Amino acid sequence: MTANASVFVEKLRSVVGDKGLVTDARARHPYLTDWRENYLGTALAVVRPATTEEVAAVVKVCAAEKVAIVPQGGNTGFMGGATPDESGREIVLSLARMSRILEVDTIGYSMTVEAGVVLKTIQEEAAAHDRLFPLSLAAEGSCTIGGNLSTNAGGVQVLHYGNARQLVLGLEVVTPAGDIWNGLRALKKDNTGYDLRDLYLGAEGTLGIITKAVLKLWPKAKDVATSWIAVPTPDAAVELLSGAHAASEDNVTSCELMSRQGIDLVLKHLPGAADPLTDRHDWYVLLEWSSTRARREAGNEGGLTEKMEGYLGEAMEKGLVLDAAIAQNEAQARAFWALRENHSEAQKREGPSLKHDISVAVSRIPSFMREGLAAMKKVLPEGRPVPFGHVGDGNLHFNCQAPAGWDKARFMKHGDAISRAVYDLVVSYGGSISAEHGIGRLKVDELAHYRSKIELDVMRTLKRALDPQNIMNPGKIVRV
Amino acid sequence: MPDTAIPAIPTAPVTPAVLDSLRAIVGEKGLILDEQDKQPFVTDWRGSLVGTAAVVVRPANTDEVSGVVKVCHDSGIAIVPQGGNTGLMGGATPWPTHQGILLSLGRMNHVLNVDAVGYSMTVEAGCVLQTLQEAAASHDRFFPLSLGAQGSCMIGGNLSTNAGGVQVLRYGNARNLVMGLEVVLPNGDIWDGLRSLKKDNTGYDLKHLFMGAEGTLGIITKAVLKLWPAPKDVCTAWLAIRDPQAAIEILSEAHAASEDNVGSCELMSRTCTDMVLRHLPGTQDPLKAGTPWYLLLEWSSSRLRKDGAEGMSEKMEQFLAEQMEAGRVLDAVIAQTEAQSRNMWRIREGVAEASRAEGPGLSYDISVSISKIPEFIDKGIKATLDILPTIRPYPLGHIGDGNIHFSFMGPRGMDRETLKQYSPAITRAVNDLITSMAGSISAEHGIGIEKLDELAHYRSRIELDTMRTIKRALDPKNIMNPGKVLRLS
Repeated sequence: MTANASVFVEKLRSVVGDKGLVTDARARHPYLTDWRENYLGTALAVVRPATTEEVAAVVKVCAAEKVAIVPQGGNTGFMGGATPDESGREIVLSLARMSRILEVDTIGYSMTVEAGVVLKTIQEEAAAHDRLFPLSLAAEGSCTIGGNLSTNAGGVQVLHYGNARQLVLGLEVVTPAGDIWNGLRALKKDNTGYDLRDLYLGAEGTLGIITKAVLKLWPKAKDVATSWIAVPTPDAAVELLSGAHAASEDNVTSCELMSRQGIDLVLKHLPGAADPLTDRHDWYVLLEWSSTRARREAGNEGGLTEKMEGYLGEAMEKGLVLDAAIAQNEAQARAFWALRENHSEAQKREGPSLKHDISVAVSRIPSFMREGLAAMKKVLPEGRPVPFGHVGDGNLHFNCQAPAGWDKARFMKHGDAISRAVYDLVVSYGGSISAEHGIGRLKVDELAHYRSKIELDVMRTLKRALDPQNIMNPGKIVRV
Repeated sequence: MPDTAIPAIPTAPVTPAVLDSLRAIVGEKGLILDEQDKQPFVTDWRGSLVGTAAVVVRPANTDEVSGVVKVCHDSGIAIVPQGGNTGLMGGATPWPTHQGILLSLGRMNHVLNVDAVGYSMTVEAGCVLQTLQEAAASHDRFFPLSLGAQGSCMIGGNLSTNAGGVQVLRYGNARNLVMGLEVVLPNGDIWDGLRSLKKDNTGYDLKHLFMGAEGTLGIITKAVLKLWPAPKDVCTAWLAIRDPQAAIEILSEAHAASEDNVGSCELMSRTCTDMVLRHLPGTQDPLKAGTPWYLLLEWSSSRLRKDGAEGMSEKMEQFLAEQMEAGRVLDAVIAQTEAQSRNMWRIREGVAEASRAEGPGLSYDISVSISKIPEFIDKGIKATLDILPTIRPYPLGHIGDGNIHFSFMGPRGMDRETLKQYSPAITRAVNDLITSMAGSISAEHGIGIEKLDELAHYRSRIELDTMRTIKRALDPKNIMNPGKVLRLS
């Protein structure tokens, strides 16, 4: 470390104290690499401020010295958005110590939290108050809400409740100048000038650092039915969902499509996992309905489970369903969900893979699936496609696992060609090349390739205006 | 004009050469030069603001809008975009010092595509809201945005002001009903963001920035709107209730009782209802009760009522009986015909029209967190009566959104000018109260001209600076609806 650098680090120490600074090389390592280990950066310092005021003070120190800041939450992103570059001139600012739940308003259905609270903690806190915070995704045990909001996370309940952006009433943000914007409003309606909140949400920390949020809560579900369904084709899955809205009386909360390839990987790598059905099938749907109305034992209407049984029975007669199991208890439902949520983990353990988090109009999923799988196979016939996703959102994780036994270097020689084939097809479908994971570092060039010059110019204009020194997570989303 | 200093806006004139360029783009029928013909465009709906414009330009398509904006951009000429001109904040009315053009989207009124399977609809900015509701209905779909001005307001204006209305409770504000936008930027470039995707995390959310910006960052020319399944089983009821607190409790229990099918929940005061009955021919009092508070409650389900099974109206009946026992509902009537339900809605939606006929008044479009509504109404009325004891309050609002139209008729016989003298003190008292209760001084109507200085007074310097930075960056020549929402200096 140069003399200047050590003076700078001492300035940071004077703001956050010893326990707010990670200096040990081994302790720093996890902050410098991403979850998928695609990137390994270096950093001038890793700081862990404890309060918004400390975040603001750290940003002011950095702004004065033009030192770039990479904000980081749970570091579970797929796009490298929270990983520093290799220059060693950036700092990592971890929000992990800002992990307090500040207020739960059950009557007003809102919760105020700091950015570093783990998503699962928020879900549990809401449940303890007989409320629901619906954001739910595989990384929920370690991702933090600040990162969820900065990437406008999706997950398995978007169908019913919307993306992370829709779950927020207010924000507090530290600006690139180190000012604190207090937009912590708990209002459902507020038309007073530009919508700054929605600008920071999804900006991946390039316009400011989200430090607190007022989240919306919903009534807790009192009656939930979860089923594991074998379907003949993706077409059947789309049709099954289409009819489910009315059959459940608008209570469909999740509808996840999976392929046999993905299930095989999960069964191979997840200890204790079992196939809920006896026979092997090519395609599966995890369908969940939930209602805030408690099941009435005495009534003749029955609960969601009975309704789902009836619906799946009809669907089977029509050939939309080949076989199905309805969870009889919460443990079974959790086991179904584990099969879905361990797809990323299983893919990681299996070896190198390419991820394509894409979206198309819901009605076009089946044809996209056919053409997309063919396009992937054409580039690399030995590649192992692992498509799965959120049918109701038109969002597929159109992933490709490396051929068995291939190392990363060998596989990645084909990476660009595979991705180009997939993204070209997505664009020809009028779709999105990043439905829920964001852009980060990984897709900067893809975004530049597929978006119009006008759109990129507007984004750059905003970035330059709000972060004139380009110190907030530079090189992510757009190059200035 | 409100008692606000006119902000500095560009003064570049529309020269004969510029006029020729505009004519070359939009043709003769796209230009209005006659002073009398321009009047409806330069006057706001309530007739309280009057501005000027060198010419009213009415382009027929996006390319023409783009061409017009480019011409203005080259010469630094200011542009005031306008839709149906039904706004309540003067956002679409030029300042009296305006030297530039008024750009009306009224000719861009085509529904371009209805995708019933994908539940979306692509439309031009000048489509009248009611036309869109009807287009959706003819495809067995539902476009939920619904408000008093729906027969004349246009979707471009609705989106530019992030309009609210009577279905926000269930479907959200206008910004929640949009998947994609096309916008002509201040330099005349066309941003094509007409995507019909439910999920798209590719960079900054420009769509949300343009929505609610009141035309100060660009002109919305097209939109992809979300559609919903058409309601098949609707039950509308008119309730006499104990007080506003009862309204909150009723709504809170209605969610479960209706199985999450509450579509609207509108609070009305007796004074408000009476005012509408006085001025709107054909409206009838649904309930001859003398009590001070009412609730219009509507439940709707997309599931067709099955013969023999319980429908919405049976569920509502049972619910109202329970609420009566609990003392929250004093009396109630369920609409038995569509005419009855239309009458109830006519009363609610005719408030703005009736208040215009009634004479001078004051109205504040505010929001607080729902649980604070009763406290706000009590304290707000008291604070206002302290200033002007003879003023006549008629509060109403979207209770599920925490949004109250905190409204007053002037004292009997008091003229507009006299009432205006009290207005600054009342405004300050009301807005101070809202701010002390962590509420919003403009829940759904926006800022426009009317609340320019109020926003500057109540928002933090950091927030205002950030907005100004964005405005200067995207519209460096300050030609897009200048002097609205924000003062730049």
